[in-house]
Order: sequence, then C-alpha cells, then structure tokens
Amino acid sequence: MNESIDRAPLPGARGRRLRRGVAYALLIGYAVITCIPFGWTIITSFKTLPDSTQLTLVPDPFTLEAWDFALNHLQPSVVVLFLNSAVIAAVITLTNVLLGATAGYAFARLRFPGRDLLFLAVLATLMIPDQLRLVPVYILFSGVGLTAGFGQYVAVVLVGIVSASSIFLLRQYFLTIPVDLEEAARIDGAGFITTFWRVILPLAMPAVAAVAILSFQGSWNGLFWPAVFLSSDQSHWTLPLGLTQFRLAGGLATNWPPLMATVVIATVPIIVLYVFFQRYFVEGVAASGVKG
Amino acid sequence: MAQAALKRGRIDARAEALAGYGLIAIPMVFFLALSIGTFVYAAYISVWDWNIRSGPEAFVGLHNFQKLLSDPVFIAAIGNTLYYTVIWVPLTMAAGLFLAVIVNQKIRGQTFFRAAYYFPAIASSAAITTIWIFLASPDGLFNGIRGAIGLNPLFALFGYAPDHNWIGNYRTALQSVILLNAWTTSGTFMLFYLASLQSISREVYEAAAIDGANAWQAFWHVTFPLLRPAHFFVATVGVIGGLQLWDQAFIAGGPNGDPANSLMTIVLYLYNALFIQIDPGYAAAVGMVLFAIIFSATLLQRRIFGGGPA
Repeated sequence: MNESIDRAPLPGARGRRLRRGVAYALLIGYAVITCIPFGWTIITSFKTLPDSTQLTLVPDPFTLEAWDFALNHLQPSVVVLFLNSAVIAAVITLTNVLLGATAGYAFARLRFPGRDLLFLAVLATLMIPDQLRLVPVYILFSGVGLTAGFGQYVAVVLVGIVSASSIFLLRQYFLTIPVDLEEAARIDGAGFITTFWRVILPLAMPAVAAVAILSFQGSWNGLFWPAVFLSSDQSHWTLPLGLTQFRLAGGLATNWPPLMATVVIATVPIIVLYVFFQRYFVEGVAASGVKG
Repeated sequence: MAQAALKRGRIDARAEALAGYGLIAIPMVFFLALSIGTFVYAAYISVWDWNIRSGPEAFVGLHNFQKLLSDPVFIAAIGNTLYYTVIWVPLTMAAGLFLAVIVNQKIRGQTFFRAAYYFPAIASSAAITTIWIFLASPDGLFNGIRGAIGLNPLFALFGYAPDHNWIGNYRTALQSVILLNAWTTSGTFMLFYLASLQSISREVYEAAAIDGANAWQAFWHVTFPLLRPAHFFVATVGVIGGLQLWDQAFIAGGPNGDPANSLMTIVLYLYNALFIQIDPGYAAAVGMVLFAIIFSATLLQRRIFGGGPA
C-alpha cells in the first residue's frame, strides 16, 4: 500500500513488522478463544432448552425463563447459596488479612528467639498437600461437634483461617518498608502495636489488598472443604457446592439454560472484583510466585 | 546512666519478644494443630482400624496399605493421576510460557491482554467445569463448530462420532479435563513466568543480537535457560497441584469418577474412603501414599532442575 515503505525494504524493519503482526494476531486470537466460553454461557442463559443446543448467537426466542428458574426455583434457593458463600468468604478474607498482617509483621520486624525457625515451619506447611489433612481434620472436628449444625460453617472457616502464603506475602512486603519510619515512631513513644497499626499497616495497603483479593477469591471459589463439611445440610451449601450438586443430581444436570444462569450468578462477584482490582489479582499471584 | 540505658534496652527487647509471640500466637496454633500436627495424626490413624465415631478399634499395622495396593480402583486412581500430571504440567507450562513471551513483547494493550489471559483462572472450578461440560456435550458448542467448519471427517478418522460426548465418554474424559485445566491454569503460569521474564536484563538480549542470534535462537539459548528458577517453581507448583486433582473430576464424574472410573483420582479415592466407605484408617493410608508420591515427585524435580531457589 505505502510505496515509500515498500521501495525501501529495510530487512530488519520488515521482519519486525511481520513479527509484530503475527504477535497481535496470536494475542487477539487467544483472547477471543478465552472469551468464547463465557460469552456462550451468557447467551445460553437467555435461551430455551431446545434452543440451547443450536449454534446460534441470538436466542430465539429470547427468554428470561432460565433466570427465573435460577433465581426463584432452585432448591436450596440461590439467595441462600449466595449468602453462605459471601459470609464464609468475607470471614476468611478478614482473618487472613488480620492474622496474616500481624504474624507477617512479627516475622519481618520483631526480634524474638526462635523466629526464623517458626517462620520456616510456616513455609513448610506450604509443602503439605491441603487435602492430606482431610482425615485428621475431619476426625478432630467431629470430636468437638464441628461437623453438625452451625459448627459446619465454623469448620470451613477454621480450615482456611490463615494461609502460609498470606503471611509470607505480607512479610515480604513489610521487609521493603524502611526501618527509619518505625524508629521515628518509636522515638515519639509509640509501642510495637501502635507502630504497626498506625505506621506500617497503612503503608502496606497494596499487599493487604492483594492478600484480601486472593483470600476472597480462594474461599468464594473453594469446593473441597465446603463439600467435606457442608454437604450434609442443603441450607449450608455454598454456590460452588450447590452448582456441583445441581450438576450431579438429575434435575438440572442437562437443563443447560438455568445451569448457565447459575454459573453467571456464581461468577459475577469475582468478575466485578477483577474488573476493579485487576492489578491486585495479578500482582498477588506474581508476588506469590517470586519466592526466595 | 549507661546502666539505666542498658536496662531499658533489655526491657525493650523483652517487650519486643512478647509482642512478637503475641502476634504470631493464633496463626501458629492453627498451623501446628491443623497442618503440621495433622500430618503426624494422619500417619497415626493410618495404622489403625478406626471407627469414625468411637475412634481406634484395633491396631492393624500396615494392613490398610496392603488392602489399598491390592484394590484395582486405587491402582486406576494412581494411573489416572500420574497420567494427568505428566501431560498437564508440561502442556500448561508451555502454554503459560508462550503467553508470557508474547505478552512481554513491546506491544500496545499489554495490560489488557495480560488481564484477559488470566481471566479463566479467576472463575470457580465449579463454574468453569460446568461450562466446559456444556461445551463438550454431544450437542454442545465444540461439536457444533467442528461440524460447521467441516472437521467431522477428520475426527471420524480417530473414531469420534459427530455427537461424541467428550467428558461423558471414558476414552476422552480425562483428556478433556486436562485441556480444561491447561486452559484455566495457563494464565496463572503466565503470571509466574512474566515476573521472571521481566527480571532478565535487556543487555543480555543486546549481547545475543550482536552475536547474530535471531529471536528464535535468543529465546532458546538465552531466555529459556535463564528462566530455570521459574521453570523449577512452576513445575513444582504444577506437579503438587496436579497430583491433588479433585474438583474437576468430582464435578464431572461424581464421587466414582464416572464414566468407568476414568476420572477416579487419588484424592477422589481418599474422599470416598472417608465418606462412602466410612473407613478413616483406610482413608488416612491413602493420604500417606499421596504424600509419599508428592514428596518423591518434588525430590525428583529438584534433581532434574538441579535445585531451584531455596
């Protein structure tokens, strides 16, 4: 098209342009592949069952039946599932931030005998597979009444109360904060706890946000421990557990439109968080990957 | 005066240590009780005939382990889990590295693409697996598209009918789960790799360019070897995660890993031993075998990669 460029073919520039074109094609192509399943899920949630198996982009007829079913006729109600998920995820997020920050601060800044050994012990728990804990934790919890009634919620929260990676992530961040700031506060007469609360924690907000996001995502999406502790009582199910049970139990198994509407409901909160706090998702994962 | 300062210093140090212990007390109790402690407890339970209500009934030594290794379903579970891990980890590492490299180019919209590729990893396994089952169902999107673009004769060569049920058929169930998880997790691996890629200095590439290396050679001879710590980390995380496959197998195949145990995994077997056979001693033995496998796999990787970051 552009003659002047065609006539003066700098081999390097041409190669670079070609590479660039290929790179963009790959980038956009893969982004499309990534979006198709989600787009198809949303489209399907507005279709009728016979229409849901057709290869059409526009629902014909367009219907809110599936949404009506998902919102009003699931057993247990989607509202119950949503609330269970939200409360469990909120509590686990709070405990991870709180306990992760306090322990992370102690490991980063305070000097006490056995500190490094205890920190190693925390890191060692990262090597113990989560599900290996199933039998002992279940027996321990059933011994103290945490496998029935309200105790079931407590059990799910206790298993996720604070993860080694929350402590690790916050500790690493605290280490990057200049010590001078704390010393200044100390000279002004502030104690360890006040210094932590007033000086250090506000400076560590990016790390706090990353830990909060990762904990929320993990507990909102979690399936294993809810399946272990909450399965026996329908009214305690979380969204992922409910979705799995609907999938497995006859009724909704292949009634795609309402199932897809439920998938959308279960995923929207995370997507909203992702849109607003994308940076913290990405940085949190990257930070947990850069060890040592 | 000096003595007073010394004394104050000592009190300060004591207060500091007390504050330190106070701040780590709650997490440490949970780590000791629910993580490190449970490991010892699981080992103990595994050598007993254990009643889920009343506790230990009879010491059985290694009987639970013998019973375990003579159950063909458990052997199938080990086979499936190893097969899954051996295929899924390299596949997802390659995909994650590939995405990281193209996203790391000097391109416009880098942040957007990075966010888009990580996107599948943020949804719950329950949601994403349900979507996948729908897409791979006999009259789902995948079969529809391959029919529409005329690929069916190609698939017929491999013996797949136009309405093949990818997750519902024992021949393709595990492969479908591998693809699903490669797709969702490649975004996470991409982020791990990106962090390391960005730490490689420009000068290294300039030196390679002066030596006449093209982009392809620079990647294989410069980038790839320099990423060794990242390879080690991603592979370790991947293998530990892969050997614990449970979510997708349970969602797609239920507690038995249907069809025909093709989705039976070690952790699914562990779950069944506790909740269906209600045999905690036996289930604990499964857990110990899983730990032994994960532990040896990690050691093996350490050898392969010649040790990673501490």
